[in-house]
Amino acid sequence: MPVLQEAGLVHLEEAKFEGIDLRRKTVDASDADRTLARLKHALDVFADMDETPGLKRLLRPKPELSLKAMSGALNRGYGRVLDKLERLESERNALSAEMKLLHKEADFLEPLRDIVLPLEAFRGTRTVEVRLVVVPAAEAERLEEKAAEGPFWFEVVSRDKRSCRVVAIFPRESVDEGEAVLEELGAVQIDLGARVAAAGRGERIEDLLAANRLERDRKASAAAGLEAGIRALAVHAPALMPVYDVLMNEREMLLADRFLGETEAVSCIEGWVRVADKARLEKKVAEVSDAAQVCFREPLPDEEPPVFLDNPKAARPFEIITNLYGLPERGYLDPTIPLAPFFFIFVGLSVSDGGYGILVVALSLLYMKFAHPRAGARLFAKLALYLGISNIVFGTFFGAWLGFPIRSVLLMDPLKDPIPFLALSLGLGFLQVWVGTLLSMITGLRNKAYLESIFVKGGWLLLLPSLILYFVTKHPAAGVAALIGAAGVIFFAAPSRNPFSRFFGGLYSLYGISGYVSDTLSYSRILALGLSTGVIGMVVNNLTQTAFRIPVAGWVLAPLIFVGGHLFNLGIGFLGGFVHSMRLQFVEYFTKFYKGGGRPFKPLRLENKYVEFVE
Amino acid sequence: MTLGLLLAISGAALAVILGGIGSSIGVGLAGQAASGVMSEDPGKFGSVLLLVALPGTQGIYGFLSGFLVILKLGLISGAVLQPTVNQGVAIFFACLPVGVAGLVSAIHQGKVCTAGVQMVAKQPKESVKPMVLAALVETYAVLGLLATVLLLNGIKLP
Repeated sequence: MPVLQEAGLVHLEEAKFEGIDLRRKTVDASDADRTLARLKHALDVFADMDETPGLKRLLRPKPELSLKAMSGALNRGYGRVLDKLERLESERNALSAEMKLLHKEADFLEPLRDIVLPLEAFRGTRTVEVRLVVVPAAEAERLEEKAAEGPFWFEVVSRDKRSCRVVAIFPRESVDEGEAVLEELGAVQIDLGARVAAAGRGERIEDLLAANRLERDRKASAAAGLEAGIRALAVHAPALMPVYDVLMNEREMLLADRFLGETEAVSCIEGWVRVADKARLEKKVAEVSDAAQVCFREPLPDEEPPVFLDNPKAARPFEIITNLYGLPERGYLDPTIPLAPFFFIFVGLSVSDGGYGILVVALSLLYMKFAHPRAGARLFAKLALYLGISNIVFGTFFGAWLGFPIRSVLLMDPLKDPIPFLALSLGLGFLQVWVGTLLSMITGLRNKAYLESIFVKGGWLLLLPSLILYFVTKHPAAGVAALIGAAGVIFFAAPSRNPFSRFFGGLYSLYGISGYVSDTLSYSRILALGLSTGVIGMVVNNLTQTAFRIPVAGWVLAPLIFVGGHLFNLGIGFLGGFVHSMRLQFVEYFTKFYKGGGRPFKPLRLENKYVEFVE
Repeated sequence: MTLGLLLAISGAALAVILGGIGSSIGVGLAGQAASGVMSEDPGKFGSVLLLVALPGTQGIYGFLSGFLVILKLGLISGAVLQPTVNQGVAIFFACLPVGVAGLVSAIHQGKVCTAGVQMVAKQPKESVKPMVLAALVETYAVLGLLATVLLLNGIKLP
């Protein structure tokens, strides 16, 4: 297993052989899960304490770990760090819970600070009852009236807008009467509870508050000490990162054991391997032991092998788009190369600003140079680079640079006359729809659906352009070609023995032309998106000029408007351009020839989160 | 100021106002859902931000259509044109596609984005797919913008 994992060539599946009863291993990864969760928590805590500025952190490459040092990473007592961190954290959490209670107590007592009576007084005496109540502020004046009416004594100790706190004293024999008065005033009793019983001689609420303050300060400084202890542990973060990654891979390896099938003497495992990797796998396995054997076979007709996209390096960034939609099912083309040029052009035309292009190119180059991203992040940076380049090209000839069109090289100016640009968008759309149909014909031929591919798909391929040509030129040859194409669709689209249903079914299929028309019209969005970036860029420049005319303040304001406005436009321009270009691929293009739903080729291999494994 | 100019200006205002209302509602819906999701995991800010921003484009389309009218009327350069009543009515109606389509589509896009935000809460790696779904709704705002731009382009002022 370690060899397979290091080689990273095989997508494992459960081993099964007909007629042989294989024993399965039961795999329990809960220990590994627990340790990984603890490590992850510790690393998250340390990451929060990391005071490196965000940009620098983003650009910081991952530390490297050699394969030989992998097992050594686990032997440096990471458990002690985790234990200590968890102990400190639980102590700190207990302290902060206690501090919360103290705060609550202080909040309760603070309005009563001015009561000069010692707490013990609230126990009352043999003859009088002492109460602490809250009375609505509006009733405060009536207190004195009531005091004059009966044997009561009221003293307001504190007041705010809505209520005041009152010490009420009345003789024990008139308790009922006193309570009635308090009720009439809308008073609510404050229960000092155990504080009264626990109070020392002469102790007042002020003293309680002072003690509370002292206790809180003591606890806060203890918590700060614990926090510093946790902070000090953060020096271990770089040592914990490789531990996490090594354990994560050990867990994967452990889980891979569930695919094993065992008999008394042998263990076997099945999996998928790329044809190109066959020899490498054989060599790796031979290194393990002479007794280890590998056998290869082709996928069976009813099997769904996992899918691995294999594109030339230049086209690989566009695999992001394919992956988002879903990998091809067996028998379908990898759409990455067919979509790449269209996507490149569409994003360029829908953003169409060379200045933004330069900025995106610079940012992606800087990111690649300093952060050394791998895998997905690297592909994305490269895709951004391509889209930036596309904007430099299309921005120069069809759009603007930071909202300023360079009129001398402009091939068409959509702001002055949008019609040629609309024609270009629709033309590109028609081309993509046509190519999509062509690819569907090729896929059909590969899957041996000859009749349908040649006559129906071929019919459409002939019909669509020749129909347009006929409408534009009225040349009879184009009309004839269109009719031939239509005939292909009519006679072969509905494969039925009954000639009538075949003919009318085919005629009905011809109605599918509305689909082609609406698909093509959908590409008009390229014009709208391109225009919107152009116009907003222009608005920003206009506002900047206007702001410039304001004396003094304008000199500060204008650059702010210029930079902020263009950054905003870049953001929404690229968001719109990217998402809408992607939609055109998915909805208008892929539906012609492509079916996603393949499962990804996921070999057992070394995965990394915090470090890079190097040979 | 002629009636034609007034009508044209009200068209521009309407485009900006309707798009703005729609986007405010749409972004508002998605923003609430996003705050809910972030209350559990503030780290999702990046992936939900774009979904919240998406229904904002209709407001921008409305604004830029309004701006095109402003440019067309020469209100910025100072040499204000005086369109006839017919031209004013034409500009007014030309502004309606982006305004009305933007108003309705932004609200519905906001609902799709809200659902998308909730999806990202459970499937953090799939933040692009709901964006594509939201873009399906936005199509009609884009077409509205396109119609408005083409119509405005077709109205020739003296």
